[in-house]
Amino acid sequence: MKEFQYVIQDPVGIHARPAGLLVRKAAEYKCQVTITSDGKSADAKKLLKLMSLGVKQGMEVTCTLEGEDEDAAYEGMQQFFKENL
Amino acid sequence: MKLFQNLFAKDNGIKVGAPVSGRLVSIKEVNDPTFSDEILGKGAAVIPAGNRICAPVDGTVTTVFPTGHAAAVTSDDGVEILIHVGLDTVKLNGEHFTIHASEGQKVKRGDLLLEADIEQIKAAGYDTITPVIVCNSDEFAEVAAGEAGDVAQGDDILTLNK
Repeated sequence: MKEFQYVIQDPVGIHARPAGLLVRKAAEYKCQVTITSDGKSADAKKLLKLMSLGVKQGMEVTCTLEGEDEDAAYEGMQQFFKENL
Repeated sequence: MKLFQNLFAKDNGIKVGAPVSGRLVSIKEVNDPTFSDEILGKGAAVIPAGNRICAPVDGTVTTVFPTGHAAAVTSDDGVEILIHVGLDTVKLNGEHFTIHASEGQKVKRGDLLLEADIEQIKAAGYDTITPVIVCNSDEFAEVAAGEAGDVAQGDDILTLNK
């Protein structure tokens, strides 16, 4: 299992567009991708669950990766957060 | 006649109703690539003529955003539907929206979810077009939108087939 923390910079947080893009990115990997924020967790491949976390600008999220391609996902998801959120 | 329609018309499939009365348009006409590029899933959009945003199917309220500008309902047959009232309206931070449903609540098609003061939202400079998106489009072989034109709340706007 691997994980990293990220503080959301995007003014609207993990909402419509970034959430949709995040789900697409997470779906590229076989491993389980979980986003945790403020004590709540969501499967990053499920759009509604992810958006219902209500992650806003300035909040810290933990992205957890677990499965066979977790190393690739760790790199890929970190890059994604930096570029999009 | 009913039997005839059932046999020969495209009457099968899961139907999603219009959450609000107005004009049905293609999702491609939504002036936000998040929706028109189907990043969140396939669907259609309604340009609202009324303020009452209602459940599009029988199901369970999955999410009501605290800002009241969007809600999601999961139908009893597993369709995850997001209703997003207007574009960029998350920025209104709840203003002009009233929430009438809560997460986990069972709803019938037509039950009130949100009230949106469409005129005020327009006056604040927002596009009020309301995308209705099937977030789990991948689980269906087909998500077909109805023909563009005027719709009443509850009229079928999407037909899904597994």
